[in-house]
Amino acid sequence: MADNQAATTNGKLLDVTDLWRTYRRGSETIHALAGVNLSLRPGEMVSIVGRSGSGKTTLLNQVGCLDKPSRGSLKISGIEVTGLKEQELVRFRRNHIGFIFQLFYLIPTLTVEENIRLPLVFARKKDEQRVTELIERVGLEKARKALPRQLDGGDMQRVAIARALVNRPKFLLADEPTGRLEKNTCAAICRIFHELAADGLGVIIATHDPVLAREADRIVEFSDGRIAREEILKERQ
Amino acid sequence: MIWFILGFKNLIRRPTRTVLTVLGVAIAIAVLYSLFEFQQGYQSRLKGELGALGAHVMVVPKGCPYEAATIALHGGKWPRYMDESLLDKVKANPGVAEAAGVIMDAVFPPGGQSVIMLGIDEDYMKLRPAWKLRGSWFTSDSSIILGPSVAEDSKLEPGDLWTLPEKNETLRVSAVLGRTNTQDDGFVFMPRRTLQRISGLEGKLVLILIKAMKVDQTDALVASLKADEVDMNVFPLSELLGTISALMASTRVFVSAIILIAIILGGVGVLNTVLMAVFERTREIGMMKAMGGSRSDMFKLVWAETMLTTLLGGLVGVGLAVVSSRLVEAIIRGMIPYAPKGSLIGFSLPTMLFCIGLSLLLGLLAGFYPAFRAASIKPIEAIKTE
Repeated sequence: MADNQAATTNGKLLDVTDLWRTYRRGSETIHALAGVNLSLRPGEMVSIVGRSGSGKTTLLNQVGCLDKPSRGSLKISGIEVTGLKEQELVRFRRNHIGFIFQLFYLIPTLTVEENIRLPLVFARKKDEQRVTELIERVGLEKARKALPRQLDGGDMQRVAIARALVNRPKFLLADEPTGRLEKNTCAAICRIFHELAADGLGVIIATHDPVLAREADRIVEFSDGRIAREEILKERQ
Repeated sequence: MIWFILGFKNLIRRPTRTVLTVLGVAIAIAVLYSLFEFQQGYQSRLKGELGALGAHVMVVPKGCPYEAATIALHGGKWPRYMDESLLDKVKANPGVAEAAGVIMDAVFPPGGQSVIMLGIDEDYMKLRPAWKLRGSWFTSDSSIILGPSVAEDSKLEPGDLWTLPEKNETLRVSAVLGRTNTQDDGFVFMPRRTLQRISGLEGKLVLILIKAMKVDQTDALVASLKADEVDMNVFPLSELLGTISALMASTRVFVSAIILIAIILGGVGVLNTVLMAVFERTREIGMMKAMGGSRSDMFKLVWAETMLTTLLGGLVGVGLAVVSSRLVEAIIRGMIPYAPKGSLIGFSLPTMLFCIGLSLLLGLLAGFYPAFRAASIKPIEAIKTE
């Protein structure tokens, strides 16, 4: 509850301020992120673009609470997460962030509904209504009992999206979500992202695909660990 | 329970590998079960055989006493004899309650079944109070009592005639012995004098079975019999049991060491397989952690998977041991100098539970390191650029 209040008081789901991530490679110091400032509001969809090694994935790792920054501030739903311990981060990820990967990472021996239910298992929750609701939302009612090998790439990504949403996260992080999909399937997945954003979910998409990138409200281009360019495509109310 | 379900689903992803790993554990557990059961069956059957002799002390001619004891237990032909007059000396000992002199012989007709004959008298019956005869005791010098197995095989009933192979001697069946489930079931009993005559061993004995006046004074009785007569071996049956058991124990240590090695190798095999599976699933485990799976969740998942593997191995192993018990028993019998008759490897719930418990313990130990490795995988692995 406190989290939600914090999120509504400043109106930002995500607030990144002067974020740095520095690595040592031998005697060389590499700044994978060098003073990044970024924010995300509920219902906003942001594309992160840039060449390989520009800092996109490093940013996703930070925002997804998978890695800790070297310095700077990272607030998610109003909570400063940089100081959280591992177990606290596990709980935080479970309740706040949904992940979508390029390779889907569905468990091949679990059915569609079992894959979607998996994050609920980790959260020690039972919410069959939510599983059914998401299966319907991504249009997989007929494939509920199917195994991933019986699905095409688009359907597998739909399962991955439903799985990312099952714990009712505050925002979605998608890493090249259409990287393995055909063009017409990409459009369908984009539509789902728009619907989710329209429902108030924040969506961050890291992509090399210029078409997908331009579906977002805002494009943030990374270069050498910094934001090189920011383009607003749709003004939000 | 959910971790076991997820673990099971992971196991069926690579069925060949899982089957081979389970088989490795199953073979080790099957051998363990067979050995345990064999030991217990051996002890209990040996005690039963010795108990069926109805005696506390055995007197045999000079020579290897254990060879003599084996002949006494299973019957056969042993070319060493004692003078029958020793029987009177033994009976005269005040510590002796009952004593029965026995002569034994066997014929081995070519292509036919061997016939083991025991020449006994009424004193022998006193050592066999549980015997039940269908028919009557020897009615003449040419009458015999058939063990039930012999009677079944030859389809003879009391009153029928029986011809001793190779000796051209026809004798009449006076009784068929009720089943005792001991070595007696396979013998042909006849009056001692008759067998001595047929075998040309007049005045000779192979064995004297003695029932002590007081069981707790058996050692004193043995000492006193040894002092009386030097031309025979006197030993209490308890000593025989102890000696044969000690012989078996030395074999057991050797076999146990082999089994222990087999189980350790099985465990290492399981560890290796599960560890490989963890490495292969690094990104998948990373994904699960990114989605809210904790270290302990990943640990439990892999641990449950390992325990399932070894538990399956344990169950299959016990099943394998029970199914192949006859074959295994025959192999072990061929490797040891003496084994009691009857089935030695059977169906024992405590041994099964022990073996299954051990397979679970194996899973706990073998699964610890792979589970630890799985728990240590960082969620960042999942989001690394392909």
